[in-house]
This record gives sequence, structure tokens and C-alpha cells, in this order.
Amino acid sequence: MFATDDSIVAIATPPGRGGIGVVRISGAGARGIAGVMLARPALEPRRATYTRVRVDEVVATYFPAPHSYTGEDVIEISAHGSPVVLRAIVQQAIDAGARLAEPGEFTLRAFLNGTRDLIQAEAVGDLIAAATPLQARVAFDQLDGTLTRRIRDIDAELFEVITRLEASLDFPDEGYHFIEPAETARCIGAVVGSVDALLAEARRGRMIREGATVVIAGRTNVGKSSVFNVLAGSDRAIVTPVPGTTRDLLTEQVDVDGLALTVVDTAGWRATTDLVEREGVARANQARGVADLVLLVLDQSEPLTPEDGQLLQDTASHTRLIVANKCDLPGRLKSAPTTGTVMEAGAVVGATSVVGTTSVAGATSVVRTTSVVGADFSRPISVSAKTGAGFDDLRRAIVCALTGGESLKDSVAISNTRHVALLVDARESLLSAQRAADAGATPEEFVLTDLQAARARFDDLVGTRTSEDVLRHIFERFCIGK
Amino acid sequence: MSRFDVIVIGAGHAGVEAAYAAARLGCSVGLCTMSRDTVAHMPCNPAIGGTAKGHLVREIDALGGLMGRAIDATGLQFKLLNRSRGPAVWSPRAQADKRLYAAWVREAIDREPNITWLVGKAGRVLVEHGRITGLAMEDGDRHDCAALIVTTGTFLNGLIHIGDEQHPAGRHGEPPSRELADSIKSFGFETGRLKTGTPPRLHRESIDFDGAVRAGAFAEECGDAVPVPFSFDTTEAPRNQIRCWLLHTTDRVREIVRANLARSPLYNGRIQGIGPRYCPSLEDKIMRFPDRERHQIYLEPEGLDVDEIYVNGFSMSLPRAVQEALVRALPGLEQASMIRPGYAVEYDFVQPTELKSTLQTQRIDGLFFAGQINGTSGYEEAAAQGLVAGINAARAIRDEAPFTLARDEAYIGILVDDLVTRGCLEPYRMFTSRAEHRLLLRIDNADLRLTPLGREAGLVDDRRWTRFAARRARHERNQRTLDTTRAGVLLRRPGIRLRDLLDRGELALDLEPSSGDLEVATLENDVKYAGYLKQETLRAQRLRKQERRRIPDDFAFARVPGLSREAVQRLSQVRPETLGQASRIPGMTPAAVAVLGVFLDRPLTPLTPPAPLTPPASN
Repeated sequence: MFATDDSIVAIATPPGRGGIGVVRISGAGARGIAGVMLARPALEPRRATYTRVRVDEVVATYFPAPHSYTGEDVIEISAHGSPVVLRAIVQQAIDAGARLAEPGEFTLRAFLNGTRDLIQAEAVGDLIAAATPLQARVAFDQLDGTLTRRIRDIDAELFEVITRLEASLDFPDEGYHFIEPAETARCIGAVVGSVDALLAEARRGRMIREGATVVIAGRTNVGKSSVFNVLAGSDRAIVTPVPGTTRDLLTEQVDVDGLALTVVDTAGWRATTDLVEREGVARANQARGVADLVLLVLDQSEPLTPEDGQLLQDTASHTRLIVANKCDLPGRLKSAPTTGTVMEAGAVVGATSVVGTTSVAGATSVVRTTSVVGADFSRPISVSAKTGAGFDDLRRAIVCALTGGESLKDSVAISNTRHVALLVDARESLLSAQRAADAGATPEEFVLTDLQAARARFDDLVGTRTSEDVLRHIFERFCIGK
Repeated sequence: MSRFDVIVIGAGHAGVEAAYAAARLGCSVGLCTMSRDTVAHMPCNPAIGGTAKGHLVREIDALGGLMGRAIDATGLQFKLLNRSRGPAVWSPRAQADKRLYAAWVREAIDREPNITWLVGKAGRVLVEHGRITGLAMEDGDRHDCAALIVTTGTFLNGLIHIGDEQHPAGRHGEPPSRELADSIKSFGFETGRLKTGTPPRLHRESIDFDGAVRAGAFAEECGDAVPVPFSFDTTEAPRNQIRCWLLHTTDRVREIVRANLARSPLYNGRIQGIGPRYCPSLEDKIMRFPDRERHQIYLEPEGLDVDEIYVNGFSMSLPRAVQEALVRALPGLEQASMIRPGYAVEYDFVQPTELKSTLQTQRIDGLFFAGQINGTSGYEEAAAQGLVAGINAARAIRDEAPFTLARDEAYIGILVDDLVTRGCLEPYRMFTSRAEHRLLLRIDNADLRLTPLGREAGLVDDRRWTRFAARRARHERNQRTLDTTRAGVLLRRPGIRLRDLLDRGELALDLEPSSGDLEVATLENDVKYAGYLKQETLRAQRLRKQERRRIPDDFAFARVPGLSREAVQRLSQVRPETLGQASRIPGMTPAAVAVLGVFLDRPLTPLTPPAPLTPPASN
């Protein structure tokens, strides 16, 4: 934690050369500091002023408190984007009394001054760290308050039920019921529905925010590295006809339809006595363990081998896609001695696929996307790494498998693990309250303990409310008192 | 000129509890009142208890206070509210015989050898070097004391309104205390102005109750078949001796109020004070809730041999003639005659954020405030504060540690914490929804929660303690029986009632007959809702750590980096004693509380940034 009663300064644009660069000063003393630095110290609020500093001609803008990024007086100085110039401007500000800001300190001040809630403060970090346009848009929506508004709407719904239950308890003599048990259960059900709608976006949101790891697996010489190279869009991996060429893990960051994927190529699976290769196989197994998605590559120009069969079994519990490579060659992939046809094996895979039931944020509760639209995991996807045929289908299938089949074009309100975990907690409490209210026999005060617990989670997300607010709401709505 | 350890100004519900508690703790007490006829007076509704208020009375009683025993001895009709719900929200309420109640309390005070009556008007508060030294009466007498407890109710700059009539006064017919008000104001306390009101009183003889019941105008309201007493000390169940009557307002009432609104000081701008939302005047009911076609009115006798009938729900400040017309517009009251009109009273209060959680002022050592002067309404809220102030005055004199109750221990703890942390914007009333751990704060376990603390403080005498010890042992035995027998297991199923098991002889418990059905019901609920109770207990334990993290008396909030100027100002004003209390100050953000928490354990060095923590986001 830093002092917040002084003024801070930092270069706000990325390091390196650029067309322009911005130095930001924030704090009660920002104006005074700028006054010392600028040739024309009189700045009108929120108007860009052309002026000079010691080393450059600049445009300075003054954002008076509290309507600024940090909630304090802020001066932004746009200069030419040379690190030397910008550093000189910062030094000048420090000489005039500013302190060099710590990383994140501007946003921290915004949070402490209440111009950003916690969700928004977190979103600033996400926005800056965004690696894909989609990540940026989700972060921006949160910064804009989309998630805050959604949570507040849900909280308002819940708050209404709580108010009426509390009124029933504190004003039993008023001669009418504020809410009947059946209606209580119905109202809570509606709140659960709203939470579910938000959580349904969570898996997708988290995938967008955090990306996913896709591991390519398969026996030797089915063309894993070729598939990897096509996905990566470069000849990253060495490809030879010699089985066992790839021995270590190779990773590449790939943007697939807006998803930031880490694609991992692994050593082909076979029984081997080569020490290096054995280590490679061990690493491959390890990589599969942490994968969000496994691409099991088969060679469709060859019959299934026992190794293929073993791998089909080993990866059955993973979220996986079966990729039938070498579709440019005549197909000879028919039956395997141990596991029957690929079609059958695939059908088993489809049935046990856990897409959509991945537990979110380590919480036990499950966001179940039961039907995966447009994805048929029971069928191998035919591709040719040589001609590039089938890769559009493969990319679509990868996105589909990772996001539960929903379009990434729609905006996602929730992406942060902390938010999801709190929502899942809130949902549990709501369900418990709903069960109690539904049974009808449980008095209101017990139902309320669960509802209050749910509300506390919403509070953790965005802010706080007090019992005083409950009372205010009661008195606004009901004429109470003898 | 005489010398006391403690002087209490005012002998209302706060004053008598304060004097009694301090006296029981061995202090010599001067109890200053203008008249011994108005001791423990009920100037408004003749009733004790109600939702959450009934909890307060049980707690006062469990700690050794007066109120519970007084109402059990003099109550006329007893009801347990919220019976259809769980025991956490059951609350006793009783109609009182206001004369007998006052007489009972006066006798209890008279029996205390440590209490001396000081009849007269209190004048000036005497202070030297920031410390109380005594009280000067208006007639010139001076009394020394080490602690002074001010419980002056609505007397500070009280102003009564009846239509256009205005006269300075405290309660009806009593003179105000200007000199005392000026003296208290001279210390620079932040004050505010509140308003409360009371309805007209009717002549009992002018109403034909039975006729109105037969005509369907009134519905009779009777007490519970088996009354539940307020006091843990009461061995004989109190008796119901009266009926009350319920009726409803008519269209005619609405028309009269609307036609005369300009004559109501509430609506013509003459009243500035803020009234309680939970007890709206008739004018407010009609104007603010125009869709509500009718409102409930209760007729309540103020005593067995008292002529006055209290018209509950009908408080107003319209001119006398309009009030008469309104009363007669009520069904069944066409012939009723009024003893005296209702009125509104405005009064000054001291913002309780001026107080510590002992109810001692931050500005002056030895000066305590309790009751309505702190912005509360209600006899029960007043009495609870009186008890807290009385105990702490005695302890302060002896340099003993403060006596405070936590929010998960007692409604009294919630009351005091709310007051000293949040201050008052309107008259403060207790509600069960103010309790974070409502399931734990029940009327049946008030003694289990608090009597040991009352004993420790010195308020619970040997006789009472012996009785409590036996009751606690019995309770634990009963719990064990339920935990270990087959019948106890059976009870967990829905539909199985403990009463039936007992009646069929499948289970034998050692029950206290005078507790009514309270004991059976609470034992049953402890079994049936064990899961909820366990969770609530865990939640309270988790919060307790932060809640009770102490902030040193001399902590320099201004030197905590990261706190906004506004937060520093509020913190310095309220001077929270724990981190939990700080988190409840209005306007404190979770971020500010977190920052405060970080610096509680660190030496505060101005302006040198200590080891940085990870900020919530980076840019």
C-alpha cells in the first residue's frame, strides 16, 4: 500500500518509441506541478492546451477531481513518443514534487476514491493485458459497468424478496401478509434463473479471458507436428517421416477465432527403449493431464493400431476431438483389433465427453451446458495437414468444444474466476433458501439467513449494503406502524 | 450540597435503569427528577415489548435490570408476537397499567439504599479540565459527582404542536429544561432535531365497546391463553385482565384529514424535526399511502382503573376540533369524547456518534447520555441504554474495563453499536432485521447469553444466580436427552411435535412450568433447525475475528495512507473501537476498511511508503 496524499507521475503509454507518448500526473498537487512544468500553466478543465515543456512541445489536458480517472486532479501531457523525452518530462514532474507511481497505482487510487468498483478496477488490468480483440471487448464491457449492472439487477431482485420477508417478521401486526411462501419460492427461483443466465456465460467468458491449452496427442508418425504447424501457421515443428522425431513439448500461442490458445505438440506415443524418447512420452502424458482439450490425431490412411486403441482409451475421460489426418490419401482406417471400429470408439467418446460440465473456478457446483450445439464429438474430423483441407472445420470444432458451442460473437459479461466463484456460492445459498421456502414449513427467518448469505456474495462482488437499506426500502413501500 | 458517585438526570425508563444498575454495583446515586409522580412514565402507548423490543426487555432482565419484572407485575394483557414463525423472532408484548407500572418501579428505586431522590430542576453540568465534577440545580443547589448520566428524553428544547398552538414543553404538562439544554449545548456536541407524536386519549365511559363489537365495528383482541412472562425471575405466569379492540379508518377519516391538511404543522412547514417512519402520523398515512383504503386502529385501556383509552395508530398534530371530528368519524366512536388531543413534539437530540460504546461522551470524561436524548424512540431502547450507561458509569469511576456487548451477543449490543457508529437520521427503533445473527439472539436464550455476564458485572445477586444455574443445568440435561434418545431422533422428522411426544409419554423432560410453552418450543426448534443454527454460529465465529480487532484509542487515522479525506474525517469523528465497527460507518468502502486493517498492525510513519502490497489491478 502506498501513500495517497501525494501526487504521482508515470509514463502512461507503452515503453519504446511511438508517435506520441503520454505522461500522467495525479493527486491534489497535480495542477501545481504542471504549473511549474508548462510554459502556459493556465489549463481549462477537460480542454486540450498546446504548450511546451523544457524538452518538447506538448498537449496538456487537465481533468479536475472528482471527474477524472483516479478521482483526483489529473494532468495528462501528450508529447512526442520518445522514451528520452518522456523520461525527461517525468523527471521534471518529480523535480516539481511528484513521486514516481508504482505499477497499478493510478487504478488503485481510482478504486480507493470510489470512481471504480472492484469489478471495474479488475477490468482495467484485463483490458491492458488483452491479447485478442475479444478479450479486450469483454474487459471493456466490464470496465463500462456491464457486469456491475447485471449483478446489481440480480441483487435488486433478491433485495425485493428480502425486504418483504423482513417486513413480515418485523411487522406481524399490520393485518396483511407481505409475501406468501409460494410466492417467496417463485421469486427466489427467478433470482436463481438470473444467476444461471450469467453463469452460463462464465465458461465462455473465462475461456476468452484466460485462454485454453490444447494438447495434440497420438501415436508416432500420424502427423501431429504437421497438424501443429498448420494450426500455428508456421513451420515451428520439425516434420520428418522418421517416427519419434518430436521428443520434447513444443508450444505456440495461437488466436483461433478470438480464443487465445496455447497449442502443445507432444512426442508420439509408442513403447520405446530410447531414453530421450521415453522422457518425451512421459512429458506428453503429463501435458495431456493439464489440457483443456486434447486433439487425438489418427492416421486415416492406416488401419488402427493397438497404440491408437490404447490412446483412445486413455483420453476417453478428457474433453477431446478425434482428428483423422492424411485425408488426402485413400482411407484405410477401419477396424482395430482391440477397440472395434473408430466409429464405435468415437461414439463411446461422445457419450462420455465432459464438455460443458467442467467445474468452474474450482467450485463444486457445475455450470451444465447439456447440449452442445453443432458439435458432434462422436465423429472424427477429417483433415489433411498437407493440403490444409478440413482445418476450418477443426478450428470451429475446437472453439465449440472449449466454449460449449455458443457463439463468441455475443458479448460475455463475466470472465473473472473470482466473480464466478462468488456467483456459484450465491447460487448455492439461493437454492437452499428456495428449497426451504418451497417446503413451506420453514419459517421466514431461516429462509432469510440463506438469502442474506447470497446477498453478502453480491456485496463481495460490487459493494455493500446495510440493514438500514432494508428498512428504508420497507418504509418506502409499505405504510407501517400503529 | 452533597456528594454522589453518580448522578442521573431524569427518572424515565433510561434513568431508572441507570440509577438502579449503578446503585446495585455499589455506587451512591442521586436520581434527579422534576416530580416523583412521573417516574417510569409512559407518555405514549401503554405497552412494553413488541418485535425486537421484547428481545431488549428479556436481555435487560437477563442482565439484572428492572423492566421485565416491572411489566410482569403490572401488565394487563400478554401476547407473544410472531408465534407462527420460529423462536428467533418471537417477541413478547404486554399492555401495561401505566399507574401500577410507575408505582412498582418507584418502589423498587425506593428500596435501593444507595439511591437518593433529588427532586427539582437540573440546571448546569459542572465540568473541570474535561471531567465531570457535579450538577448545579436551577434553584442553586450543587451536587458533586464523578459521573453524570443525562436521560432527559424529549425535554431538550421540546416544542409541542397541536394545530396552530405551539408551546415549549417536555412531555405534556411538564416544563422544559432550558438551562440544562444550554449547558449541554455549550460543550459543542453535534445535535439534531427529531419529532415524535402521540394520539388523542378518549374517555372510557363515552364508548360502548360491547355494542360496537356486536355491530361489527370493533373486533376484540385478547391476550394469549398461556401468557409468556418477560422476566426469567417470574415464577407465576402473569394474567390477562383486559381486552383491547381493533377497528379501521373510514373514507370519512381520509376526507377530513385531506380537508384540514394545511392546519397540520407537519404539512404546513412548522415542524422541522424528522419523525419515525415506522410510526407514521395519521397525516402521513393518508398522504403518503393514498392507495391504502383503510388503516388499523387499536383502542387500548391505559390501566385497570384508568379512564383513558389510548387510540393506537391515530397519532396526529391537527387542531383539537379536527381531532374530535376524526375520532367521531371512526366506526363505533360516534359518541366518544376526548380527554386530551394528540400532539407532535419536536426535540433536540445529541448525535450518538459523540459517544463511546460505553455511552460516555468522547468530549467529557464522566458524562454519559442514555435514552431518547441519543435519538432513539421507545421505552425499551431507552431502558437498555440506561442499563449500559449505569454499569459503565460505575466501572469508569473504579477504572474498570468497559462493559460492552457484541452484535452477535445481544440486541443491546446492536443498539449501542448502531447508535455510536452510524448516528441517527430519524428516531431509532430496534428491529430484528438489524441483527446479523438473528437466529442466535432469541428471547428464550437471553439468560444463557447474558446472565453470566450480568453476574460478572455484579448485577445478578446470589439468589438469582442460583436459580439461573439450576435452569441452565436443567436445559443442558434436556438437550442431552433430545440428543441421545430415540424420541429425540424421531423429532428431527417433519410433522413430529415435541409436545405430542411429551403428552404420549415417549419422552420425559424437566420443564419449568412458568415458561409457558416457550421452553418446549425452543427445545423442539433447536433440534429441527440444528443445521441452520450450526451454520449461523460458524458464521458469527468467522466474523468475530475481524469484528473484534481492536483499534487503539489514540490511533491516528489521518496518518493511514490510502484513506480518503472523507473517510479520515468520519473515522476521527466516530472513533471506532474495533475494525468491525469501522466497517459499519456510513460511507466507509470495503477498500478503506481493508487499508485500515493492514495498518492496524504496523507502525505509522508519515509519507514513507512501506513495502508495497499487490494492487488490485495493474496499468
